[in-house]
Amino acid sequence: MEGPIVPLTMLRNGEAGIVVSIRSGHGGGRGCGFERRLMDLGLTPGTKVTVVKSAPFHGPLEILVRGSRLALGRGMAERIFVEIEKV
Amino acid sequence: MIKKKLVIALAGNANVGKSVIFNHLTGLHQHIGNWPGKTVERAEGTLYFKGYTIDLVDLPGIYSLSTYSLEESISRRYIAVERPDMVINVVDASVLERNLFFTLQLLELESPMIIALNQVDVAKRKGIEIDVNRLEELLGVPVVPTVAVKGIGIFQLLEKAIETIEKGQAEERVKVKYGKEVEERISDLTKMVENTRSQYPPRYLAIKLLEGDEEIVNEVERMEPSIVQHAKKLASELESIHGNSCSTILTSERYEVAGCIAREAQKIIPPRRPTAEERLHSITTDKIVGYPIVALTLLSMFYAIFVFGNSASETLSKIFYGTEPLFAKIFGTGIFGALIWGGVIEGIIAGVTIALPYIVPFYFLLYILEDSGYLSRIAFLMDNVMHKMGLHGKAFIPLMLGFGCNVPACLGCRIMETERERLLAAFVTTLVPCAARTVIILGLVGQFVGIQWAFALYAFDLIVIFALGRIAFKILPGEPTALIMEMNDYKLPHLRTVLKQTWFRLAEFIKIAFPLIIVGSFSLKLAEIFGMLEKIASFLSPVTVTWLGLPSISGITLIFGVMRKELLLVMLATLLRTTNFAEVLTPLQMVVLSLVAMFYIPCIATIATLIKEFGLKKALSITIFEIIFAIGLGGVASRILAMIL
Repeated sequence: MEGPIVPLTMLRNGEAGIVVSIRSGHGGGRGCGFERRLMDLGLTPGTKVTVVKSAPFHGPLEILVRGSRLALGRGMAERIFVEIEKV
Repeated sequence: MIKKKLVIALAGNANVGKSVIFNHLTGLHQHIGNWPGKTVERAEGTLYFKGYTIDLVDLPGIYSLSTYSLEESISRRYIAVERPDMVINVVDASVLERNLFFTLQLLELESPMIIALNQVDVAKRKGIEIDVNRLEELLGVPVVPTVAVKGIGIFQLLEKAIETIEKGQAEERVKVKYGKEVEERISDLTKMVENTRSQYPPRYLAIKLLEGDEEIVNEVERMEPSIVQHAKKLASELESIHGNSCSTILTSERYEVAGCIAREAQKIIPPRRPTAEERLHSITTDKIVGYPIVALTLLSMFYAIFVFGNSASETLSKIFYGTEPLFAKIFGTGIFGALIWGGVIEGIIAGVTIALPYIVPFYFLLYILEDSGYLSRIAFLMDNVMHKMGLHGKAFIPLMLGFGCNVPACLGCRIMETERERLLAAFVTTLVPCAARTVIILGLVGQFVGIQWAFALYAFDLIVIFALGRIAFKILPGEPTALIMEMNDYKLPHLRTVLKQTWFRLAEFIKIAFPLIIVGSFSLKLAEIFGMLEKIASFLSPVTVTWLGLPSISGITLIFGVMRKELLLVMLATLLRTTNFAEVLTPLQMVVLSLVAMFYIPCIATIATLIKEFGLKKALSITIFEIIFAIGLGGVASRILAMIL
């Protein structure tokens, strides 16, 4: 069963999803750089990501990926599309 | 026995304990400089072991060897081109998979290496047990478990490094095996690049060509453009098979390998109850409790700094000024004596007694916050506030530094990812009321007008920072970048590393600021001796007297303030021959003078730092803007406030 595909920011605290794709930012060059950075930190397609919590007032997200804890700006997180994991 | 020289490099992710290992190994024999022509720090040290003189290089903490950042491309070039005799890859045992991703890239560079499996104690507490022998087998390189903060395994690590250099590295190292389609194309390209005279291994070149790595592509393009064309063709074939960009495919597959090795070598039994670090993390990033904790931490930090700074400053002044009669005896009280004392020695005294007592504890506490991991939690909570200024959470760190002194704060802006953000952060930082400006605000307004006015000025400063930051962010071309930051587990700060960092920052500050302070106070003293000061004051009087409504001598004090802001207050007292400012200045004048002092120019040491970091043009633009802004603001404020005060 395939779950719905949503931006990472749509996940509730404690929910997990599988990375499907990362949309590059507008402006090309720089956006690609950040896509690279995310991949280097382990957010490659097919990886499980758990949202631990998000900071208030549209602050960054705290996520768990491959055993490490990352803080991710909301704008960045909105570009990461995940398939919600069925429990 | 012939003494031999060896070069060993430490490489690994950020916050894995690299600098702790570096400090253990090199002790006091180290120096920190920059990579040639770059603003990236280069730490180097020397040690002697078993008849070898070993040059140890601490490479910057990075997550990958792509060319995403300056640090990464410097590290890669260093390993490939300068070829150290050994690379010690420091790996955080508690985040094995992510760290192995970096290890695999080092293996692809085919440099001689061993692994320091660090923080095995932290891993154990998190329920992660690593089979060191199995990991050694899987990677084909020696692995030494260490607990760097306690010094455990450091000696064995060094022994293993030397042993591996002497014996030569075993041949059967793991090769990252990619999928069949990818492997075919890699070997195809490898054959083609074998004859180029690149310093990188052929297989590495092939992989990076497929990934479209800019540096490598350019290098090969210069030697053999047809290879690049071919690589592009192969890459687009792969992209159509997998439906992803080639660098995504290779990164994913590399991570797959890292994941497999990690799963094979480690056993995870998560502890039943969350660890103390875990609970502390939840509390300090809590959306309600988190903020008061930040406020409380920062307030108590500043309070401690000021209490310490005040008493240390007083004690030091007493001691130093006590030597004045002695100087007068040696150099006389004529022009020569006045120049030596007032121009040189007093400058040094001012630097030592005013700047250092505040800067030293500030750095010390800041590095404790950083080393413990709390600073990244503050960045997490403050990210959205910083976003309004087009910056992200990490910029909060240099901004905080700015409250101590703008010089290190501008240097601290290096942590930002892009040039645009470094400049933006530095600009905002120069507006932060540093310790010297706080001295003026408290000493003038706080004492003679009322503490509520001092606080109002402070609050107003924060508003200005925010507003100007936002405007600069809108004006500067380019896009804001988002926060991507690791939040490592909390740990007890390692005192020796903290002290060492404090010392190096202090040395850096002294190197930049002290020559300027001395040159500056010398020329001011000259101007004073030759009676130039009054002329300057009357030249400036249209601005100071007519527009700002200040007494004419304030022009002189504003000039002294450029050297260091708190000198403004010192000179005011000297020129007015009283420290009871209420006798000679109206409350309105005191508020306006403090307001202007807050913004009117970065002090000369800060300007020097800006030039060093961003070039003359940008440094001057910031300086000139702030002069105009402060004068404009001061004049308007004096007219508005005249109705209240």
